[in-house]
Amino acid sequence: MQVAGKQAPNGDDSVGEGDPVFVARGLSKVYGSGEARVVALADIDLDIHAGEFLVLLGPSGSGKSTLLNILGGLDAPTSGSARWRDHELTGAGDAELTLYRREHVGFVFQFYNLIPSLTVRENVELVAQIADDPMSADDALGLVELTHRLDHFPAQLSGGEQQRVAVARAIVKRPDILLCDEPTGALDADTGRMVLAAIDKVNRDLGTTTVVITHNSAIAGMAHRVLRLSGGHIAGEDRNATRLPPGEIAW
Amino acid sequence: MVRAFGIRLRGVDVLDLKLVRDLWAMLPQVATIALLIASGISVLVMSGSNYLALLQAMDDHYRNERFADAFASLKRAPLTLAERLRGIDGIGVVEPRISHRVRVIRADSEQSIAGRVLSIPARGQPQLNRLKLVSGRWIDPLHRDEVIINAAYAQARHVRPGDAIDVVLNGRMQAFRVAGIALSPEFVFATRSALPLPDDRNFVVLWAGREAVESAFDMTGAFNDAAMTLAPGARMEDVLGQVDDLLRPYGGIGAYGRAEQASHRFLEDELDEQRTMSVIMPAVFFGIAAFLLNVVLGRLVQAQREQIASLRALGYPTLPIAVHYFKLVTVIALLGGVAGLVLGWWFASVVIESYRPFFRFPVLEARMEPWIMIVAVAASVMVANVAAAGAVYRISRLPPAEALHPHAPGGPAALLRVGRHVGTLMPLRHLMGLRSIFGRPVRTALTIVGISLAVPLVLFGLFWFDAIAHMLDVSFNRIERGDGIVAFAAPVPRRALHELEAVPGVLFAEGQRSVAVRLVAGNRSYRTGLLGIAADAELRVQRDSDLNAIAVPASGVMMSRPLAERLGLAIGDEVRIEVMEGKRPVLLLPVERLSDDILGFTVTMEIGALNRAMREGPVVNSAALKIDAAREADVWRAIRRMPMVEASSSKAQWLGLFNDTIAGMLVVGAVILVGFGLTIAVGVVYNSARVALQERAWELASLRILGFTRGEAAGLLLGELAFCVAVAIPLGLALGHWLITLILSVRIGESFQIPAVISPPSYAWAALAVIFAALASALIVRRRVDALDLVAVLKTRD
Repeated sequence: MQVAGKQAPNGDDSVGEGDPVFVARGLSKVYGSGEARVVALADIDLDIHAGEFLVLLGPSGSGKSTLLNILGGLDAPTSGSARWRDHELTGAGDAELTLYRREHVGFVFQFYNLIPSLTVRENVELVAQIADDPMSADDALGLVELTHRLDHFPAQLSGGEQQRVAVARAIVKRPDILLCDEPTGALDADTGRMVLAAIDKVNRDLGTTTVVITHNSAIAGMAHRVLRLSGGHIAGEDRNATRLPPGEIAW
Repeated sequence: MVRAFGIRLRGVDVLDLKLVRDLWAMLPQVATIALLIASGISVLVMSGSNYLALLQAMDDHYRNERFADAFASLKRAPLTLAERLRGIDGIGVVEPRISHRVRVIRADSEQSIAGRVLSIPARGQPQLNRLKLVSGRWIDPLHRDEVIINAAYAQARHVRPGDAIDVVLNGRMQAFRVAGIALSPEFVFATRSALPLPDDRNFVVLWAGREAVESAFDMTGAFNDAAMTLAPGARMEDVLGQVDDLLRPYGGIGAYGRAEQASHRFLEDELDEQRTMSVIMPAVFFGIAAFLLNVVLGRLVQAQREQIASLRALGYPTLPIAVHYFKLVTVIALLGGVAGLVLGWWFASVVIESYRPFFRFPVLEARMEPWIMIVAVAASVMVANVAAAGAVYRISRLPPAEALHPHAPGGPAALLRVGRHVGTLMPLRHLMGLRSIFGRPVRTALTIVGISLAVPLVLFGLFWFDAIAHMLDVSFNRIERGDGIVAFAAPVPRRALHELEAVPGVLFAEGQRSVAVRLVAGNRSYRTGLLGIAADAELRVQRDSDLNAIAVPASGVMMSRPLAERLGLAIGDEVRIEVMEGKRPVLLLPVERLSDDILGFTVTMEIGALNRAMREGPVVNSAALKIDAAREADVWRAIRRMPMVEASSSKAQWLGLFNDTIAGMLVVGAVILVGFGLTIAVGVVYNSARVALQERAWELASLRILGFTRGEAAGLLLGELAFCVAVAIPLGLALGHWLITLILSVRIGESFQIPAVISPPSYAWAALAVIFAALASALIVRRRVDALDLVAVLKTRD
């Protein structure tokens, strides 16, 4: 199947060069105050490049979710700055952030978050209808290899199928960045691999910058780059010389 | 057992904590539901209490002031005849007295004021129809110029004890001094006209010492009126028959019981009306409130299905869970109950206040009837618990695992059918709305019905203004077409009308002849006035229900439709008319036509025919006038000086009085009804929206993350409500029209007919008011949609 992307499809190792599309400097996020003060992110600097597949790895409470939320325009840092291309995310109002999410960001949730009263195809079309230049819902579903049961409701699908619908829904608008929050967290290994394969395919075929957060280190093998978070800091950074195909990931 | 007991005990404690926190968390919902209950209860309390208050006031007044059971008027009889009356079997006390029409002249009144003078013993109260002095004192036997006057007039004209009052008695002006101001059971509802409105400014009752009245009317040692009580067990008809026999040689014109006494008849009509309304209105209100309570509380509990399922999964038996929700709704019902009692008491006081100009009782106070309070609160607690029981039962029938899952609306197949084809034609978010609307048809229908119930109440509040405007238009623009009426002291030849027309400013005078009659049909009778008018009368035109003019028949009579119904008469039936003045002929005339009057009961016939029946020449005793508006004041001043004129009334002044009297009452009613309508609209819309939000917060937040704007997300939720409101409003308007027609049709007060006329602006305002209430509720919920926690959604499973 031929799918046209906004960026040159790339699956090679040249990704990560040139100007970054996402730049964060001195990002901190503090919840509460006084004794109840919790530092979720502490002075993080981060660049993400176009087409990059980035895995944020860390245990619960390491700050990876907070970082993803700031990336996705769902949360504001306490201090520091975050910028997506020419969008300054820090200090932006709700309307601006909504527009940013609408135009640029695709989300995949841990629990799929499909609309129960819409069918598979309709769930994908729902987002296509608010996008500027979407692909067709069927094409998006084809990318995640869901070509049947399109008129079924989410409740009639398995978890893995639902999550692939969610991936299709996230990419149908041809997002610039795909944010996946523990996309396999609620799935067993086999179905998880199918979902990862879908995400990988999107990244390779469409060149969509992809950020996956997980506490599952096995997934890290898929990425161009892995950031290990711990206690709100970036504890380490790895670059994979070769990316593992999702089928070879085991956990 | 012991362990089970222990678990239950500890469980109840924690659940009670949950109860308090839930109530606190749902405060706006709790408040709106409590207000709904309060509305129902307050009307129940108000109506019931006010009806009983009126009844009590009447009973007390009648008993304390010894209101007579029967009355008789005659031409003149010696006082010794009173002894023979007392001898009649079945008669208790007899109070002979002198009663005459008089008029009062006041410098500040362009019209002369109609009055009635009644003789009282100079020393102390009469035996019957005693006076309840509200200020001043009893007349002094040494001062024959002292009178006691009725409180209504005193209040309307600001007369105080010690003031002078000029009375024309038997054609001679006499100066009196007001010694006291009093209430009388005979004049609780004091009116000189057949209109169901007191005309306090233009009707005065004077009680003067016997000697003063005797000399003025040349009635020394005589009486022309008697009030009587019946002995216990006596039959009214028998006694009245014997009284009639005894008085006939003395010009008796028919004894009658309380039921036909003017004030009492109005009072009874009003009480009948109150009795009907005190059942219908609370039934409607409480019915609506109970229905909504069921819907709203049911949903409130339903929305906690996951919590209930979790508790059950943890091993809680159903009973303590049910008890928990019973407590929840009982607290809400009690909150509403207390608010309703307070509100009801307040309404009762306000409404009782608005009765005062109509009913002149010594004591008329709002009463809180304990049993009504208890019934009202118990009923709302019961309804609330039934609602909760239903919801808990429905949830507890589900296996916990199933109840833990989100409520799947309808079957997928059914959902697919909804909009499968339209899906490609409309944005999917609208399709989501449609599926939500039609996927749960029962819920949608209940919401629609709930909102629609708000409309009739608002409409009912506004309707009264239309009804009154219509009544006034019909009565005073279409039936009474003149600008005023003058009544002559005695019948005068028709040519006397020229004298009236000679007054500068009088454009036209149309003579009328009215006589007091008793209408008899079978065993039913009714005392009223028979009005004779010309067949081509222009200033008095009877109308049918379509407002077409109906001329008086050349022979026979025309009668108000409700009066004919009261007497059991139809067109063509003969009615026996006992004229109670002049030569007192008894006429047997067919009912030729029926008219649809609104105010009062009228019987009309052709004036010439009436003159012939009365065996008199072409005479008139009243006249309708067409007056040049610019010279009206001068006209009335000139007419007041005419010796032949006994009383006069100006339509403009009367309308002003009417508006002053009735406006306050209408506003009170309208505010209460509109307020309740809005309470319902807010209660239903707000609670529906909150429950929907609770159920769909997760979905809406997901959509927000996917890039839907706040407006789009809120639109999803509120679009459904907008749909419900849009369907509910026409439904409510139709329901309102039906309900108003229904309530008016069971209304049995007959002294005036309320037309079921609702103007287009009233419909529009009722619709707008409910839309406004819905909008306000929606905006409050919209703020909650704006404040959805998006981040939390990422980590929670629905």
